[in-house]
Amino acid sequence: MKKHFLLLWLLLFGSIGLVAAQSRQVQGIVKSAEGEALPGVTVLVEGTTNGASTGPNGDYSITLPAGSDNATLRFSYVGYVSQAVKIGSQSTINVTLASDSKQLEDVVVIGYQAVQRRDVTGAVSSVSAQQIKDIPVNSAAEALTGRLAGVQLTTSEGTPGAQATVRVRGGGSITQDNSPLYVVDGIQVENALATISPQDIQSVDVLKDASATAIYGARGANGVIIITTKIGREGRTVVNYNGFAGVRQLSRKLDLLSPGQFIRFQYERAQLAGTTAQSDFKSTYGTSRYDSLSAFDNLPTLDWQERIFGRDAFQQTHNVSITGGSKGMNYALSLTRNTEDGIQLGSSFDRYLVNFRLDNKVSEKFRFGFNARYNVTRTLGAGTNSTGTSQTSRLRNVIEYRPFEFVGGVVQNQDAFDETQAVSGARLGNPETLINQEYRNNSQKVLNVNGSAAYSLLKNLTFRTTIGVETANTVQNAFNGPVTPVARQNGNLPTASISTGEQITLNNNNVLTYNLTKGKHSFDALLGEETYQIVNNSLNIGVFYLPKTITAERALAGINQSAPPAGVQPTFSSPSSKSRILSGFSRLNYSFDDKYLFTATFRADGSSKFADGRRVGYFPAASVAWRISKESFMQPYSSTVSDLKLRLSYGLSGNNRIPNDQYRSLVGVQVPAITGSGTTASSYWLNETGVPGLANTALANEFLRWETTASRNVGIDLALFDNRVQFTVDAYYNNTYDLLLSQAVPSTSGYSVQTQNTGKTSNRGLEFQLSGTVFRTTDFNWTANTNLSFNRNRVESLGDIQSFNFNSNWAGSDGPSFDYLIEVGQPLGQMYGYVNKGFYTANDFEGYTSGVARPWKPKTGVAVNPNAFAPEGPGDVRYEDLNGDGVINDLDRKVIGNANPKFTGGLNNQFTYKTFDASIFLNWVVGNDIYNANKIEFSSALYPNTNLLASAYNENTYRNTDPVTGQLVTDVARLNQINQNATQAAPSRGRYITSSDAIEDGSFLRLNNVTLGYSLPKDLVQKLKITGVRFYVTGSNLYTFTKYSGYDPEVSARRSSPLSPGLDYAAYPRSRAFLAGLNLTF
Amino acid sequence: MNKLFRRRAALTLAIASLGGTFSCKDYLEVPPVSTVDTQYVFSSLDGTTSALIGAYDLLSGDQTYGQRLSSYYPYDSDDIQVSGGTTLDQGRRGIARFVLDPNNTELLAPWNALYQGVERANVCIANIPKSPLYTNGTAAEQAAMKAMYGEALTLRAQYLFELIRNWGDVPAPFEPAAATPDLRLPNAPRDATYERLLSDLATAAPLVPWRSQAGTASERITRGAIKALRARIALYRGGYSLRSSGTVERGSNYQQYYEIARSECADIIVSGEHSLNPNFQTLFKNVNELRVDNSEIMFEVAMGGAAGSSDSKLGYYTGPKIDPSSRYGQGNPGINPLPTYFYAFDSVDTRRDVTITYYSIGSTNLQSPAPLFSLTDGKFRRDWRVPLLPGTVQYLGYNWPLIRYADVLLMFAEAQNELAGPTATFGTAAINTPKLALEAVRTRAFRGNTGRIGTTPTDKGGFFNMLVNERLLEFGGEGIRKYDLLRWNLLGQKIAEARTNLLALKNDSLTKPSQIYYKQVGEGMQLTSFYKPRRATVPTGFRTTPVQWLRNISTTGIGAYASGFTPGKSELLPIPQVVIDNNRNLRQNPNY
Repeated sequence: MKKHFLLLWLLLFGSIGLVAAQSRQVQGIVKSAEGEALPGVTVLVEGTTNGASTGPNGDYSITLPAGSDNATLRFSYVGYVSQAVKIGSQSTINVTLASDSKQLEDVVVIGYQAVQRRDVTGAVSSVSAQQIKDIPVNSAAEALTGRLAGVQLTTSEGTPGAQATVRVRGGGSITQDNSPLYVVDGIQVENALATISPQDIQSVDVLKDASATAIYGARGANGVIIITTKIGREGRTVVNYNGFAGVRQLSRKLDLLSPGQFIRFQYERAQLAGTTAQSDFKSTYGTSRYDSLSAFDNLPTLDWQERIFGRDAFQQTHNVSITGGSKGMNYALSLTRNTEDGIQLGSSFDRYLVNFRLDNKVSEKFRFGFNARYNVTRTLGAGTNSTGTSQTSRLRNVIEYRPFEFVGGVVQNQDAFDETQAVSGARLGNPETLINQEYRNNSQKVLNVNGSAAYSLLKNLTFRTTIGVETANTVQNAFNGPVTPVARQNGNLPTASISTGEQITLNNNNVLTYNLTKGKHSFDALLGEETYQIVNNSLNIGVFYLPKTITAERALAGINQSAPPAGVQPTFSSPSSKSRILSGFSRLNYSFDDKYLFTATFRADGSSKFADGRRVGYFPAASVAWRISKESFMQPYSSTVSDLKLRLSYGLSGNNRIPNDQYRSLVGVQVPAITGSGTTASSYWLNETGVPGLANTALANEFLRWETTASRNVGIDLALFDNRVQFTVDAYYNNTYDLLLSQAVPSTSGYSVQTQNTGKTSNRGLEFQLSGTVFRTTDFNWTANTNLSFNRNRVESLGDIQSFNFNSNWAGSDGPSFDYLIEVGQPLGQMYGYVNKGFYTANDFEGYTSGVARPWKPKTGVAVNPNAFAPEGPGDVRYEDLNGDGVINDLDRKVIGNANPKFTGGLNNQFTYKTFDASIFLNWVVGNDIYNANKIEFSSALYPNTNLLASAYNENTYRNTDPVTGQLVTDVARLNQINQNATQAAPSRGRYITSSDAIEDGSFLRLNNVTLGYSLPKDLVQKLKITGVRFYVTGSNLYTFTKYSGYDPEVSARRSSPLSPGLDYAAYPRSRAFLAGLNLTF
Repeated sequence: MNKLFRRRAALTLAIASLGGTFSCKDYLEVPPVSTVDTQYVFSSLDGTTSALIGAYDLLSGDQTYGQRLSSYYPYDSDDIQVSGGTTLDQGRRGIARFVLDPNNTELLAPWNALYQGVERANVCIANIPKSPLYTNGTAAEQAAMKAMYGEALTLRAQYLFELIRNWGDVPAPFEPAAATPDLRLPNAPRDATYERLLSDLATAAPLVPWRSQAGTASERITRGAIKALRARIALYRGGYSLRSSGTVERGSNYQQYYEIARSECADIIVSGEHSLNPNFQTLFKNVNELRVDNSEIMFEVAMGGAAGSSDSKLGYYTGPKIDPSSRYGQGNPGINPLPTYFYAFDSVDTRRDVTITYYSIGSTNLQSPAPLFSLTDGKFRRDWRVPLLPGTVQYLGYNWPLIRYADVLLMFAEAQNELAGPTATFGTAAINTPKLALEAVRTRAFRGNTGRIGTTPTDKGGFFNMLVNERLLEFGGEGIRKYDLLRWNLLGQKIAEARTNLLALKNDSLTKPSQIYYKQVGEGMQLTSFYKPRRATVPTGFRTTPVQWLRNISTTGIGAYASGFTPGKSELLPIPQVVIDNNRNLRQNPNY
């Protein structure tokens, strides 16, 4: 039978051309049930590839060969129930398509397979193009923020092209990468959100529980984000233009001291700091008389925030796509160009994207597809952040640099380098000068090519193979001019570095699928094999001591011009690595009467990251669903409850996102020092000559295996009123075990620590998704969807220890010894520090003795820090003596904040009224703490001549100087008199201390996006011979309701480690955008 | 149907071939290329040499023989004590005065460093025999690989030996840590560990060439060093030590081990590869002048690089006190020979003025006398360095001799005396009796006055006593004495004797000077006699202010010397507390 069918098909196909002469025409109009013409409906003669698609008015025309009277025309359109009409002798066939109540469009890709959403038995969150089409953004991460229950996307900062931290259900790993796995059109892709244009996304499905992710085995523990790109539909070529342009503006500024306040504070600081500081003050500002300071009151304020971040940063995006198809071949070609200036001077982002996708159905049995994506990104500008410490932060220059340009009665040349500010310990530089001196040019080129072929071996058995190659080339050029902090450590001469990287990934999977439906039994099975390889090669070179006046361009083009002193080498490295995974997997789906659904998956993964014999891990999962709505006892309610399904799942998945070669004994010339800090050379000096020795750099652990997550999920899907309202709730409990931690080992081994699989964490949570049509009339339509997620993270075990601490190190040696505590029984992200207890008053001290190390002697019972960098006096910040030992020291610290939100969510509303449309998107995070390190630094006067936050020094601040004379007051009674209304501590002159004052509530509700659109009426459009025209305006990040005092509560400045979430230090300030755009469809 | 079957078969084959073009194991075996793994290192001679150098590395540096093991741990003994008088601390003075607990800050790093050495040697020992060059290389490659295997065995023996003599029954890893399933090793009985080391060294010796065949003179281990170390370990195995039971006991069948010592020493003597340097002073000047002398110094730690990880503080922390602004650079000694040790030497014994210095050097390079109770040692002194190294640099590059040929002679004498008596012959070498061996050492010391070496007792007990004394005189400041006394179970007794003798000496102003006078001669000085009572008048041309001599010995100082020595406890150091905390299988030493 099969063979005959094939023969018949070949005959038909081959005969089309021959019989065309005797053909006839059939035409008609396709409309929706609401009477609206439907463009783009596929019209196909059943059993042939002869087809057409409807035009803008829903009209079609198709040529039929003679003898087609018995043929059937099939009308199909996404979201509508397809309809078949016998042709007979009719020459006009008008059709009305009913919308598909079986859940519009809802196909969900769950890994190597797409299924109807209604058949899903695991926890999956999805976003479709429809939901994000109103959000004209350039970053896929931004487009998805707040839209997916159980998925927290935090864009690390406001810089254009910023990376996002993505956490699916909290993330289980403590020390390793918690990033999810990305699969784009069936191919595993590293960091997909950075290389895909939001305009090209058709749908995003996030697999959250192990029953869904276990099919991805060792790479599935952090969730799987499956992205499907747009593809054309058979019948008609559609050209789309989507363009928008607009500006971004700094959304919030920090209030700083005015010139008058600044100079008075510096005066007071100098009085407190002593005679050297006073003479420095005089030489810097040209006066030592307090009464002359009023001259500064009238100086115009140099608002560096305005100068650096104040511009209206222009951005534009143009996207042209051509989609269409004919005779079994569908394609989509999309070209995107973004240019975006950062709000910071000198920063910009520039990107070209090409996406091409082709699907070809050669025959009923064989189809193949091809997909190519090319992405060129260039980012200019150093940003504000750096992974280093406060000395290399750039935001601080903007905040702390002197806010006026008259010093000592002389107008300062703002372009010139100001030595006085640079040499004071603060090492500040004029932010404008530094922007020109710190040149950064990062470019990335990513080419992703993949192809797939599917062949139906039997009626129910299909073999599909997919192969994908991605090459990502990055070049990071950096140049530091002579006045930058880096150059100042290298002979005040410029430095330059070029880092290039190439990552080649190769992915191939081969899958057999079989399905069988017999009566009420439906069964399908999948069996597959996959290989995945990543190769990384990089070449990094850095030089110091370039000629003083060299430009960035010349330095980077002629890096050999450096002339270092003898013994100082340029730095260079060429690391290269490769890792591979070989896997086999299978899935079984069974359903009975569409009522009882069962899915089991199993995957075996072998990874090169583990030792021979321990490479293979097994990841089973199973889930069941019960469609309660199909039970007879539910039939009375069937008009209300269109679908009700209960889901249960359990499964294992792994995380092998760990560095390569952890299991292997690696050897090097530098080894960890015996004393525990730093490294030493393992050389031995034979005959007075150093002979390099080799030794193991760490204690390898050949027993290493995957971090594994066991996940349990229970969920309910409920659809009401003919699917008008859809509600999903999921509850989950995930344990992650075998976490990789550095554990102390007996030193008789020759080592002090070893990476071992010992830790355990858990995440439990609840997720709600609600979507529906709130209001629907012919003219007005209002749909809304909302999600709400609760997650509780807990460290269950750290192996042999109960806790360890972590230093985010934002301030280097000027900062705390550590500021995060990881503790069994508590969540990750606990901030650690002192508890504020107001400030010392003069009454806390016996009195003042000049010329001694601690001029104010504390009274008995008043706890001070005996080793304070700046000994305490009246007005200084006071910390709680938690252990009551009478001194303030490291033992008086405790957990003072928690970066984990209580819940997060989003609410999207979309409205249409006639040809107007609008959407409002809100998202929120509630109950998290932010560690505002900016505030600590910008409220402290550790170094002289730094500007402060206005909140740090105002009329409520404790004063140590006489308001009339400006002289230091050392008399207790007088201090009490001056400060009778003081409510706030004086700015600290000590090192930066993490205390409860710096921990702020990070809750926010953001008016993320408001869009208004207008489409030209159909009749007008038709006259223009186009399909559709829509204009829109959008405002992004319009307003944020928050108590947070920093730039923005959505921040994670140290994303490289999962141990220090919620830290705000030197992050690039976020901006708000106003955009106008145009959609054109031909 | 048949066709259908064929198609299915073809498909199955196609899938199988896709999966089968590579084997699973090969595909997942990805060797690192940017970093070096162990297997790669041992696949070449250069790589193996580097790994072996890495195993040598731990001998040098502050934590081992560069300072802690050479200058902190061997004292207080009856030759030298640590400076500081009555001051006690949780550091070097705590160790010296035997007033310490497991939290003493100077215990952990040396312990860790020695075990790091053991581990690196273990990596070599486990991997060299697996190298293709070891079995299939050219004859020269095989010989080189085998020699390095022997060196690695010797290094491991040295590290473990040092651990055992300080800490007793310590864990003894003989496999690389990465191949050890449970790293929480328990205490290993020292006798068994010693057996293993003796057997390892017996294996190692034939693999490593004698110094005459080892090519250019180098500080690497040669066969003589291995045999000498084997002899030394055998004597320790046969000697006394504090057992975990809390009693001091001699190792079982001790004669058997004395036989090993005797035969190894006799082998060395008969080989003619090593000899005494005729001049005791030249011997040590060579060290201070950075010259290699591997004729007498058979096994030494090579130091250099002016860093805490690879050099030694010998000459800075030892030797006379020298002002930093002098042309010699700073000497800041931390150890002081006992006055009784000074007077233990015959006045014509050339070893006295090499082993002990009684001067300090001021900023203008002038010497002035050191008071008797603050004498300094002298085998490693900064003013002897060639080239001079002015300034405050603390690392002078001085090597630490581990075993000298003189020790081989005296070990032979000791073993043969114990087994057969002072005049019994063993072997055919010119030196083949204990008496001859001891006199060879003594004669060299009395260079110029060999007639005064005295009479060597011919009874076993008398000879032994003389040998105990001779080793005191020969090895002062070389970190040997305390451990000798421990294996003889004489430490407590000798400390008590030293204390008594110090008190007696303090009051011996009838035969020794209570004060001495000196005058500058060039940058040096001339002193009044050490062996006559104080002069009633200041000799002409001498400074009128005398230097305190016997009077300098303070009673409180005597009281402080080795004050905490407790028999049944102080013979061993406590295992560092952190180590105990990290390993529940480990037992602390008695009475700590």
